[in-house]
Amino acid sequence: MNENRRGSVRCDQSRLAQAGTMAAVVETFGLTKVYTLDFLDVEHGRLKLRLSRSRRQRVALKDLNLTVEEGEIFGLLGPNGAGKTTTLKILMGIIFPTRGSARILGRPLGDKWAKARLGFLPENPYFYDYLTGREFLKYYGQLYGVPRREREQRANVLLARVGLRDAANLPLKGYSKGMLQRIGLAQALLNDPQIIFLDEPQSGLDPLGRKEIRDIILQLREEGKTVFFSSHILSDAELVCDRVGILYSGELKDIGKLRDLLSTRIKNYEIVARGVPEAALQQWRARVDRLLVQKNEAMVIVREESEARAILASLGGLGATLVSFNPRRETLEEYFIAQVRGRSDG
Amino acid sequence: MGKIWAIAFNTFKEAVRNRILYILLIFAVVLLLFSGAVRELTISAQEKVIRSLGLGCINIFGLLIAVFVGIGLVYNELDKKTIYTIISKPIDRWQFILGKYFGLLLTIYVNILIMTVFFYFSLYYQSFTSEEALEKLYASLGPGESVGTPRHLAYLAWSGLRSILNALKTLCFFPDEVTANLQAVILMTCLELAIITAFAILYSSFSTPTLSAILTVFTFVIGRSNEDIIRYSWFLERKGLTSAAAVMKYRIAQFIAHITPNLKIYYSDTSYRALSDPPVVVDTYAILYGVAYSALILSLAVLVFRRRNFK
Repeated sequence: MNENRRGSVRCDQSRLAQAGTMAAVVETFGLTKVYTLDFLDVEHGRLKLRLSRSRRQRVALKDLNLTVEEGEIFGLLGPNGAGKTTTLKILMGIIFPTRGSARILGRPLGDKWAKARLGFLPENPYFYDYLTGREFLKYYGQLYGVPRREREQRANVLLARVGLRDAANLPLKGYSKGMLQRIGLAQALLNDPQIIFLDEPQSGLDPLGRKEIRDIILQLREEGKTVFFSSHILSDAELVCDRVGILYSGELKDIGKLRDLLSTRIKNYEIVARGVPEAALQQWRARVDRLLVQKNEAMVIVREESEARAILASLGGLGATLVSFNPRRETLEEYFIAQVRGRSDG
Repeated sequence: MGKIWAIAFNTFKEAVRNRILYILLIFAVVLLLFSGAVRELTISAQEKVIRSLGLGCINIFGLLIAVFVGIGLVYNELDKKTIYTIISKPIDRWQFILGKYFGLLLTIYVNILIMTVFFYFSLYYQSFTSEEALEKLYASLGPGESVGTPRHLAYLAWSGLRSILNALKTLCFFPDEVTANLQAVILMTCLELAIITAFAILYSSFSTPTLSAILTVFTFVIGRSNEDIIRYSWFLERKGLTSAAAVMKYRIAQFIAHITPNLKIYYSDTSYRALSDPPVVVDTYAILYGVAYSALILSLAVLVFRRRNFK
């Protein structure tokens, strides 16, 4: 009890320190992880047991500094092997950083007070296949220290929330991949966490499954929770993230609000019009980037805003009808590829 | 404590739903029941043969459960990455190790209890179907009745039922002269297995199941011969440590004897002796040694586990 009270005071202090801005729930300071392929990968402070003949090392994460604020959905994006899972594993206390430190809810890594307030879904989760869905949630509820009566109730609520009420009494070995992902999400929400860490929550799921996970993530934000997730499926990330960090080869390439990262990069303008006379089309062909004519409709793509305005203005005089006008922003995928290519070229 | 218990109980559940456990248990039960047949093949000292077979069976199968069921329990958590979600919960790593240890110990003890019931059953059944008892039955047979008749079979079935009841009664409430001694031997086995289980947990906290299994069995064998190794070093000393080779041998023997547990103290050859011999007692030294040694080995396991990176 005392520990909890002390914890909340300290947490409030850290929030006060950042008055004016939103409270940072995750902060990392120069987080670095070097994997050494040892017989025993055990770190005791500076002493490392090295029993292998050669010291083969791989840098998985290089000097990561990032902050995630309260109530936002933060996406850590990057290709396979970029260091996303390593970051999450360090934050969860599964592995230890080689250098650097991090704070979750204002507390150092591994702090039990903070752990009681977070939820975690690992990538491709696998759980005890001899337990039924309900037994599994009740077991994890015990690990969170949820009182017995409440455990049963929470398990039922969460099973309904992730759509597994009918499968609650089936052993997990009979669960499909999507069902495992959902029961995994349920266990991450058992303690009604303030912050939820999800590692590739949508990988391997069908479109419907992905949408369901997406909806739950958005719902969590509405409840005021912070969601930190990693993904390499950019289109899914684009739909839910408030802010993203782009990780490549263990380095953070860019971080910011999705709006800010992409808004300045309107790629082109797409205009679709009906009934444009042939003469006008001929004229446009020389001026625009692309022109497609199908039946009675013409689709024009131009890069400059002024050009787009000119075309739009001329439509009335030509007796044509505007069907659609669409300023096309760079997608996250295009931005991501540009980032990754740009740096690796440089 | 609640969290350790939660992990222990889940470990027990996992073991109970494991097929290997049932195969081992069925083998043990068959062997215990089969001791009746061994009795038929023995010329003398039949009781002793049955007792040593039963006790040996409980000891060996206890060890096999610790090795084959126990070692997979920690490794599976790492291999299947269920440890990820456990570590991210508000529990300490030492709580996880202790939970696994107590869960495994609970599994072994429950199995020892089941084997003991069957062991007692076979002991009692034998006393009810002994030659003396059968002679009484034959004497009571009416004219024209012979062995194998419904009455005879009914007698055997009744003996079986009485044996089960007697076995349970003795086990739970009234140990007699014979069973008090047997119970002491079985309790010693439980203490020995507490140490071996701690080693199984230690080995599986850093190596693969196969290696852990081999190391655990080695520890058991060396532990049982610990006193012999010490005696060997004394023998070398008496002979005189004149050559460098003798000194080396002496040092190695001393080293092995000191770093391995002395499991000989839990081994009693009561089953081979006459019942009139002084009874086996579970002494305070054996209990303290078992608890202290297990605690030491578990602390080592916690030390390895505490800063381990899980991949």
